[in-house]
Amino acid sequence: MPLVIFVDDSETALASTRMVTDTMPITVKQYLNAPDALREIQAGMTPDLIITDMNMPVMNGFEFLQGVRAHAATARTPVLMLTTETRDELKQQGKALGLTGWIVKPFNPAQLKQAIARVLRLA
Amino acid sequence: MMQFLHTLDGLLEHIKSVERETIELTQQAQLQVVRFIEKQGLLLDDETLEVMQYQDIIAQQLGATIEAIESAQKHLQYFTRAFSEDDSLAAENLEKMHGKLTSALDRAREKHSAFGGKIQHQDDDGIEFF
Repeated sequence: MPLVIFVDDSETALASTRMVTDTMPITVKQYLNAPDALREIQAGMTPDLIITDMNMPVMNGFEFLQGVRAHAATARTPVLMLTTETRDELKQQGKALGLTGWIVKPFNPAQLKQAIARVLRLA
Repeated sequence: MMQFLHTLDGLLEHIKSVERETIELTQQAQLQVVRFIEKQGLLLDDETLEVMQYQDIIAQQLGATIEAIESAQKHLQYFTRAFSEDDSLAAENLEKMHGKLTSALDRAREKHSAFGGKIQHQDDDGIEFF
């Protein structure tokens, strides 16, 4: 099953995504901070999709994205930003950094599932 | 004037403390509900799953106001330290502090809008692919 990782400093946000993706044919790993996720990626983990929050302490979503893109094995891995941020300038910045898409919280569960299915090309 | 500023600082400290407690309590409550749902194997409908995300938004909004308060406190504390010996000099510099506090308020309002997600920007489709 495809591996999808979620990175968010909010435990409740991770719980919400977990409940939404429970019934999907994917393996989910969750991280409360970006450095932990990045370390695992650098150690060889190759997720099929990364979904990350933007505003996080220590390392924000863009910094994490840059780390992901700098690693050869994940240079082309789809990355979706899942955030309360709606500013266009941030979306454009994300796009320039190689972001795949932008999802605004609170997300519609059906839309999130569709987005994951679309990126992973699930039937 | 300095006594007034010290009281104001104390009030801001109190507000921050209450906001932190609110974040913590809402998180605990939410996680308890999640544990119950997962333990019982309950499936929630989309509407419920959507509102389950509000705690995260509440926490971010309160976190942003805590940052704004801390910024205001920093300016107030700088002011009280710099002018504690001279009330007339302090009065002359009030305008400068007012400018700093206004900037802090503007930043806080921007964050309130930015962190509101779809709740404040219902015209936003929610998902955009690049």
